[in-house]
Amino acid sequence: MFVIDTILLVTGILLLLGIASSKFSARLGVPVLVLFLALGMLAGSEGIGGIEFENYSLAHGIGTIALGLILFDGGLRTPYRSIRAAWKPAGILATAGVLLTSVVTGLAAAAILGLTNLQGLLLGGIVGSTDAAAVFSVLRSGGVHIRRRVADTLEVESGSNDPMAIFLTVGLIQVLSGEVPLGPALITLFLNQIVLGGVIGLVVGRLAVWVLKNIQLDAAGLYPILATAFGLFAYGFAAAIGGSGFLAVYLAGIVIGNGRPVFHRGILLFHDAAAWLGQILMFIVLGMLSFPSRLLDVAGPGLIIAAVLILVARPLSVFLTISALRFSFREMLFISWVGLKGAVPITLATFPLMQGLESASLIFDVVFFVVLVSAVIQGWTLPAVARYLKLETPAKAEPPVTLEISSLRNVEGDIVDYYVDEDSRAAGRMLKDLALPDGVVVALIVRQDQIIPPQGRSQIEIGDHLIVVLRPGVRPLVDRVFARQEREAECLPEALEFPLRGTIKAGDVERFYDIRLGENPEATLDQMIRSKLGSKGLSVGASIRYEQIVLRVRGLTPTGSIEYVGMMILPLPKEQPVGEETKSALGGPKPEAS
Amino acid sequence: MKFADFISFKAIRADLAADDKESVISELVQSLLDAGDVNPAEKDDIIAAILKREELGSTGIGRGVAVPHTKHPSVQKLVGTVGVSAHGVDFNSLDGENVQLFFLLVSPPERPGDHLRALENISRQLRDDTFCRFLKQSKTADDIHQLLEEADNNQFAT
Repeated sequence: MFVIDTILLVTGILLLLGIASSKFSARLGVPVLVLFLALGMLAGSEGIGGIEFENYSLAHGIGTIALGLILFDGGLRTPYRSIRAAWKPAGILATAGVLLTSVVTGLAAAAILGLTNLQGLLLGGIVGSTDAAAVFSVLRSGGVHIRRRVADTLEVESGSNDPMAIFLTVGLIQVLSGEVPLGPALITLFLNQIVLGGVIGLVVGRLAVWVLKNIQLDAAGLYPILATAFGLFAYGFAAAIGGSGFLAVYLAGIVIGNGRPVFHRGILLFHDAAAWLGQILMFIVLGMLSFPSRLLDVAGPGLIIAAVLILVARPLSVFLTISALRFSFREMLFISWVGLKGAVPITLATFPLMQGLESASLIFDVVFFVVLVSAVIQGWTLPAVARYLKLETPAKAEPPVTLEISSLRNVEGDIVDYYVDEDSRAAGRMLKDLALPDGVVVALIVRQDQIIPPQGRSQIEIGDHLIVVLRPGVRPLVDRVFARQEREAECLPEALEFPLRGTIKAGDVERFYDIRLGENPEATLDQMIRSKLGSKGLSVGASIRYEQIVLRVRGLTPTGSIEYVGMMILPLPKEQPVGEETKSALGGPKPEAS
Repeated sequence: MKFADFISFKAIRADLAADDKESVISELVQSLLDAGDVNPAEKDDIIAAILKREELGSTGIGRGVAVPHTKHPSVQKLVGTVGVSAHGVDFNSLDGENVQLFFLLVSPPERPGDHLRALENISRQLRDDTFCRFLKQSKTADDIHQLLEEADNNQFAT
């Protein structure tokens, strides 16, 4: 057996175990990265796997590739909207925030471990950054739903704070090994990292979008590879000339993802897979690299440093840097708690080892321990903390999409397969009655194993698949048409109704809002609602729905007449006139008659 | 419809001084006038029209928010402003609370749909407690402007 055969066998087994452990993650609420790390430790020299692995430069290599892919994937999925909303707080957290966290943690570590201040600061710099892989996995797939600005801030911060941590680590290592004196040279190093990394990321991203749109490849499978190639190129180019490769690859990903390249969905899917592969391999390798017995040796001081980092340094830097940017106190507490550490610190901790610095192995063990504590405690408790701080927002009703197909050529259109389940608004209605916006064509109805050419009269049944061709812009509207029904009218808080006196005339309301209630304009609201509901149905809370508004009885006088009516205005998509809906549902090429 | 489509950013006031219903409406209309969105000669007539709408029922919709609005032939397109009063104004809201946050709208009679859409947008966005609270806490017109932009970018309730 060649060595590579063994490596493949072991890799295969570890990947299988990694994927299997991800199934437990959801059930136990443990972040996947903890399970992957644990798996690596089990497979390692002190675990049951007994794999001797102590190659720090290989681990650093795998960590770098994996992190590059994870950041690229994260960038591809970050809409400009998130950046616009979050660049300010995220930018400050990613620079000043990291610095502050590092300094506080570092000085504490120096005191606790008896290191010199510079060595302590090196440790602080290594653990200073929030981990993108961990944050993405918790916020995107961990079932935590919070206000979007907070989530955006955390995601953009974690995606862009690695340059700062790398700068601190590399800079301090160079100072410690006597290559660079403390002083202005460090600033140049820092500016090079940010500026070169930033510029190259943006330029390569632009170039990649142009190439992806114009190259006209014959094989669809080449498009994702092309995108990856540009990502790797951005990283390598930036790193080669002294910029931050991680920043470059993240920015390139953002530019490409927002440029709607050809075969967009394919590119996303491919990189989703690549990011997962990267996560599993990286954490398992880093787990194998550690020695649980040595971790136990540093458990005492490690716990104290982790506590300083989690409870003092991160909250302090969050509150000091972004309290002017309109986050509520609870939100800042939450952002403090999401200072998740992950693979970056462990990868960075291999730097001093490779350089053969004094105390490097102590630093590595402590960093590993701190990451473990942070990932387990913070990662595990995140959903609970979000709930406790009352920051959770209800998950949006997901439209039942089962498949998204994209055209290979650069066309502004998506083909989407909607599944109609029993709660869907579309179920049981005729195609022409769906409020589909303009530019949307239902191309096909699939019912069990039959294909039904869609016509206006076609009835949509539960269990149908509708293949819909649409422009990307109208996607949210179409999603709503197929989404699960909400009972909006009943669950709205009464505070958002416009109160109207019961004694005013229906005609006044019609005239004022240019709406038609279809009632006698001389009748008062009281008379109008009374005649609709009947004397039995008349009670506080009873409501009548009109085309554009809902009227709800808010209060009765002691004699039983309606004192106040709440007027609520209904949202737009449902209000399109029926004639237009019919037209647009069949607005595209006519399906062939069978 | 987005806030940017109808809120006149130059007319936003974070420091309303008025302390009763009529004068706060006057102050808000004056802000639209200062921003060049309404004709000075029509000011009193617009105020009267808004007060007439208030007679149908106060537009103080509770939670310290009021949305005074009216149709008026002197405007060519839907215009609106936002005002914050630190101390709050009695606006005869049904819940009895003083109003700190005002959205004032004036719409042309010939664009009926816009009026309703703008009101719907306001009431939908205000359903988000955070948005509502941040608006009331705003100290400068810029803060308010930025919040409205964030709401337009769906950073709050959607």
